[in-house]
Amino acid sequence: MLNIVFYFQVHQPYRLNHFNVLDIGRDTELFDDKLNGLVMRKVAEKCYLPTNKLLLDLIKQSEGRFKIAYSITGTAIEQFKLYSPETLDSFKRLVDTGCVEIMGETYFHSLAFLYDTNEFLDQVAMHRDLMQKEFGYYTTTFRNTELIYQDRLSDLIYEVEGFNTIVTEGVDRILQWRTPLYAYKNYSKDINLLLKYYQLADDIAFRFSNRDWPEFPLTVQKFVSWIDHLTLAEKGGKNQFLNLFMDYETFGEHQWASSGIFDFMKYFPKEVLARPHLGFATPKETTELANYQQESLSFPQPVSWADEERDLSAWLENDMQKNAIETLYELFDKIKQKGDPELLRTARLLSTSDHFYYMCSKYFQDGDVHKYFSPYDSPDQAYTYFITALAELEERILG
Amino acid sequence: MKVLMFTWEFPPLISGGLGMACYGMVKALLAQGIKVDLVLPTKELVYFPLREESDVDTLPAVFVDPLMHKEYSRRTFTTVNERLDYIGINANPETYFSLRDIKLYAASVKKQYWLSEVVSTEEQELWDEMTTNLIGDEDLMRKVQEYTLRADRFARTLTYDLIHAHDWLTYPSGMLAKQISKKPLVVHIHATEFDRAGGPGDERVHKIEHAGMTYADMVIAVSKYTAQMIMSRYRIDTGKIRIIHNAFSIPVDTVLTKQRIFKGPTVLFLGRVTLQKGPDYFLDIASKVLKVHPEARFIVAGTGDMSRHLLRKSAAMRLKNKFLFTGFLNRKQVERILRAADIYVLPSVSEPFGISPLEAMAFGITSIISKQSGVAEVVHHAFKIDYWDIDLWAETINHLIENPDKCKKMGIDGMEEVNRIQWDEAAEKIRHLYSSVLAEFIRRPLN
Repeated sequence: MLNIVFYFQVHQPYRLNHFNVLDIGRDTELFDDKLNGLVMRKVAEKCYLPTNKLLLDLIKQSEGRFKIAYSITGTAIEQFKLYSPETLDSFKRLVDTGCVEIMGETYFHSLAFLYDTNEFLDQVAMHRDLMQKEFGYYTTTFRNTELIYQDRLSDLIYEVEGFNTIVTEGVDRILQWRTPLYAYKNYSKDINLLLKYYQLADDIAFRFSNRDWPEFPLTVQKFVSWIDHLTLAEKGGKNQFLNLFMDYETFGEHQWASSGIFDFMKYFPKEVLARPHLGFATPKETTELANYQQESLSFPQPVSWADEERDLSAWLENDMQKNAIETLYELFDKIKQKGDPELLRTARLLSTSDHFYYMCSKYFQDGDVHKYFSPYDSPDQAYTYFITALAELEERILG
Repeated sequence: MKVLMFTWEFPPLISGGLGMACYGMVKALLAQGIKVDLVLPTKELVYFPLREESDVDTLPAVFVDPLMHKEYSRRTFTTVNERLDYIGINANPETYFSLRDIKLYAASVKKQYWLSEVVSTEEQELWDEMTTNLIGDEDLMRKVQEYTLRADRFARTLTYDLIHAHDWLTYPSGMLAKQISKKPLVVHIHATEFDRAGGPGDERVHKIEHAGMTYADMVIAVSKYTAQMIMSRYRIDTGKIRIIHNAFSIPVDTVLTKQRIFKGPTVLFLGRVTLQKGPDYFLDIASKVLKVHPEARFIVAGTGDMSRHLLRKSAAMRLKNKFLFTGFLNRKQVERILRAADIYVLPSVSEPFGISPLEAMAFGITSIISKQSGVAEVVHHAFKIDYWDIDLWAETINHLIENPDKCKKMGIDGMEEVNRIQWDEAAEKIRHLYSSVLAEFIRRPLN
């Protein structure tokens, strides 16, 4: 049997104000509340509310056979409360169906894993507490920021009580001849690993409305026939997992409603469930469903789900990104020595990976996805505001 | 005495020191009873008849077209800025007359028309040098062409005793006005193309500078440094060159009291971020100082063609959050950054004068200035260092950081010194120069 594992990432950062040197020391607000509110309300209206409603209906119609998983960041939850409480309520109703898994991650969608292990574990614990508080849900599957994964991550997560599964990208250079359709184990065989089937996931997330794509338009029949095809190779009765991981904003925001993405989703579960050899599963169910000896995979170098490279280069390639993040984590040390909770929160809001994504200069000239997501005119501008904000933060530490 | 003055910058239309210098100079000239008809690169065809000191702030304007002037006079404006907006002056240099307007105007005037009045072959050569080099499709060249074509109207309709043109952008206009009116021409060198480009620069600009200076009756250089440049690079008759240093008068409403932004020592670079000003030296100096004094902050105030390079290089050098950029600052913001600084540095590669150090000193900021600058000739209470001697710059800054009392004293001494360098004195020199040029002119037989 092939189980489709849907996991949707729900995240909104706190975007920075256009922070200038002259604003330092004047109690100027670091974050652009107006813009953040605007974005949250817009995305809620275009994506979160209609998609949640659709998925809730689908779960009810399927009588619990349609299942999905979410990872929702702390910064997103906070901003739901501030700008769109009805969105948070609709997520709660989804969790109440019992067909929705909530996954664990860093509260601030940060890159702390790469720079500060203690801070990383703190943020993971904060997130678990929040999920418990908001949804009454105890997380057991872990998703690191942007699916960044490396052997060391499994070591850390294994140490955190309760986590037994990690999801990451099905990177070709790791998988080589293998297929991401099976559940794997981490290098030490302690943790269950699920790998994104990026070809099919990206057909929905990135290519769905692309008219230059030879397969355009993507119909439910076509997509399900491709999935049908995947099951042919497995003759031994092993359970397979088709991991379709994507940003939740794919629905209605990255792919507009006019592209037909909602209709696609509306008819997809029915088409799948009409076939006896296909079904849906949540990430945590895979540990039970894996009816075979799971092969272990080693990831010596970090991978992620971003860009063609599927490495860290979207956040940590150029000097601006490196100087910014190194400076930030030095400040973390100073703040923790000082023990000021308000400063710590500010530093954590600045640790959100999006800030470094905006500074990416890899494809900027081509007006690629980085530009689409950036509230700034250029990576240089994003860097200038960020590094100036770090100067403000340091003055606050000294003050 | 009435002067027809051409300049490219005048507050609020300003991008650098030229506008500030013209403002201080004209104000002081007015105080000495000299009348000035000022021509600026405005959107509308207007000039500014300045008669009293206060006129430099209100900028009364006259439209050359009487009908348009009538309409303009009938309007009421609540603020000066609103009125200036109507005329088309703005703090933002990109809003000089639009390129669409230029096309319309350029088509209506023929270059040959001016040449018909040229007399001697020597003049003819200079005219050819100017007109053949006033070519090109870049925004700036097109704007200079337009400005020059308009100068024709002013030169013919206004009455004046002599012509004063500031920097190459207005030399063609000055030449044209002299050609039409036969009145003496004074050209003022605030910067040459060698200073701006930090190398050979634009050939066309050199030629225009050369033609303008040679065609002029008198050349004012803002420093010995510049005079030397004019003699050696442009071969201008030394007998025509006069050195009149710029001065600095701080606007009366300026707030000078210190208001720190950073707790640590704050080192400031203020000016255009362009090769001439040596911003890359500033970066190297910062990197050296920060190794000894990580508590220091280095601020780049201003923008320019090297901003991006500097930003990325500072990140590559991992100067953390100690090397910061303010971006473009308006007048009030410049004041605020000056109030926050402890040490001012001007590592210019080539600086004909450099008003900004005087401004910094007026705020009591200890200044370190490049030896390759005109301002180094007039101030004593400032450190002067060769722009390339990065070790010495760094040592000096370290020394000042380690001896805050000494730093403070130097700042106060500098402040007192700058307060004595007033425009009145420079304006008096200019007035004398005007008089002698006019006397010479009256004695000269008409050919």
